[in-house]
Amino acid sequence: MTGALRVFSFVDRIVQFEPGVGARGRFTIPDGFSSLWPSLMVEALAQLAAWVGMAHTGFRRRPVAALAGEVQFGTYVVPRQIVELAVEIDECNTDVVAYDGCARVDGVPIVEARHCVGAMLPMEDFDDPKAVRERFEVLCGPGLPPQTGWDDALPLQYDVIACDGEARRHATVRVPEVAAFFTEHFPRKPVLPAAALADAQIRLAIGLLAEARDADWRLLRPRRVLGVKARSFVLPGQLVDLYAEVVGATADVAEVALTARVGGKRVSTGRVEIGDWDVS
Amino acid sequence: MSETTRITRDEIDRVSQRVVQIIADALDRDVGDIALGSRLVDDLEAESIDFLDILFRLERAFEVKLPQRKIMDDARGDIPEAEFEHGGVLSEVGVRRLQEYLDEVPVERFVSPLALADIPRLFTVETFCKLVVRSQRAKQA
Repeated sequence: MTGALRVFSFVDRIVQFEPGVGARGRFTIPDGFSSLWPSLMVEALAQLAAWVGMAHTGFRRRPVAALAGEVQFGTYVVPRQIVELAVEIDECNTDVVAYDGCARVDGVPIVEARHCVGAMLPMEDFDDPKAVRERFEVLCGPGLPPQTGWDDALPLQYDVIACDGEARRHATVRVPEVAAFFTEHFPRKPVLPAAALADAQIRLAIGLLAEARDADWRLLRPRRVLGVKARSFVLPGQLVDLYAEVVGATADVAEVALTARVGGKRVSTGRVEIGDWDVS
Repeated sequence: MSETTRITRDEIDRVSQRVVQIIADALDRDVGDIALGSRLVDDLEAESIDFLDILFRLERAFEVKLPQRKIMDDARGDIPEAEFEHGGVLSEVGVRRLQEYLDEVPVERFVSPLALADIPRLFTVETFCKLVVRSQRAKQA
């Protein structure tokens, strides 16, 4: 990895590490990242927590995205900003890694994640344990140079299939068969990152609300996601049905239920609260 | 099961409202859809990720620890693991022990052979109420 192009690794260096307890890390925002910042900042925290979990098991197991209980989003990020990542581990064993985390730029929180859980699975199914350990040692040492590459396959492009007034929207997205991010996520078992799917779902929700309000979608942003669950792996080439449904609204915030299905089976569920940029 | 380990109806009633609310929140369901006898998988369509979510929510709400394998470990008790299950399937002794432990589950639902992977299908809302009560008792002990 140190010599290969990185497109989906969001920890450049681990600056503090307490086994089984927590970690702090750093990541420089690459070009191309900005439009996906909410979900990918959550991914960055998940990756940092994953290092804690993997080290705890001697790199015999690794976590995969399972649950994000609550994530608050702050301001957006721009290329070349340095993000300070911090995770506190609530539980860490061979079955799960549970954590809270915060990503900050210049001391200002941009993402705060609570009650997140990764389910631990055999490392060998996903990656070479020796290579992963070596990567960890580099991250805890000199670190990696900032990621400069970006995968043109992201963000995922969806097609709106049906609109039900101002309340519901159905779209489909074809997961690419081949993409650079699959080489990292994961080398032995390419699966669509939950963050990439979540990003598409959030954008679908924003599009739904923008049309409902006859507003510019760029004036809307995700404020919070709740209870996001990655229920099943999504594989290269699969067709994913995305559903967004407004389930509640106040003057400031609309709550949208998100569901993704493959072949009729739920692969992801959750809710997102969408609001205006100019209301904090 | 001894009288000292049996969970009373009063103990279940003390926690059931909160447990039902937690399960409703985790499964995005109305509280009215959920009864003590509701089966998490067959009636409420819970998946493995939902079980994780429910356990963590219960831990936070009741300030107890609920390890993922707690039900199985408690059901097994002092029986050696090799006598309790083999090759991912419960032994006859294991099925009887589990039946005693999950006494809220109708006996006819315990089929033999019973695969470990199928055990969560037995769980009801009351199962989780009793899990919380046992953990509270352990914490107080």
